Amino acid sequence: MKTQRAADNKLVIHLDRREKQLLVQVLGLYPRIPPAHQPLSKSARLPDHEAGQQLLNEALAEQRAANRRQVQALLAEDRRFEEKPDGWQVSFSQPEVEWLLEVLNDVRVGSWIILGSPEEKLGKLTRENAPHFWAMEMAGYFQMELLHALAD
Amino acid sequence: MPEILPGSVQVAEEKPKSDLEPGYLVICWNDPVNYMDYVTHVFQKVFGWPRKKAEFHMLQVHEQGKSVLTRESLERAEHYVHQLQKHSLHATMERDE
Repeated sequence: MKTQRAADNKLVIHLDRREKQLLVQVLGLYPRIPPAHQPLSKSARLPDHEAGQQLLNEALAEQRAANRRQVQALLAEDRRFEEKPDGWQVSFSQPEVEWLLEVLNDVRVGSWIILGSPEEKLGKLTRENAPHFWAMEMAGYFQMELLHALAD
Repeated sequence: MPEILPGSVQVAEEKPKSDLEPGYLVICWNDPVNYMDYVTHVFQKVFGWPRKKAEFHMLQVHEQGKSVLTRESLERAEHYVHQLQKHSLHATMERDE
């Protein structure tokens, strides 16, 4: 994967054939974080705490539904990925890159949660947990590439 | 009681913290899954901080297990927690006692 800034501040990404397939697979896993996963407060000493928690859960659920629709639209948009002799080229605006980072991080963190939220290294790799480990690492790979491109 | 001289200006006494509108701390907690670069990036984006300040708080999260990011009204604190959780960071709000 190679990235470069275009004149209009878009980020142009070159993917080889395998990388495009992997990116599509990773994005297709979104969303992975279970609904109502995060508490609004650890102490719960907030006025109307339950209502606040409910509001947070609803806001995150709406956001994920909108992101899911946007992921599906991106994957269905044939002309978005332009075929090149050595792979594929796709360009994203700055807000789209920010959105991609958010989506990829959901896949990464959600996969980690499915793996049991291990504090350190994952235990034994098994047939059951390998796909989740793969998803966590692949999402992280694309995330870091995008973050490095933004920092350049 | 303070003596008030003619022509002097009476300055309002500072209220104790407990009498003021309660504040809410927005806290980010450490986890082993979010990349340090990503956490820094999200802090910059959500709070509009310069990179150095964002890195300072990211390192505090990483090394001390948590960082108090800001003290806000209830509504503002909720807004920031929503934003941070939207980016899948482990963030909560707690009443500032």
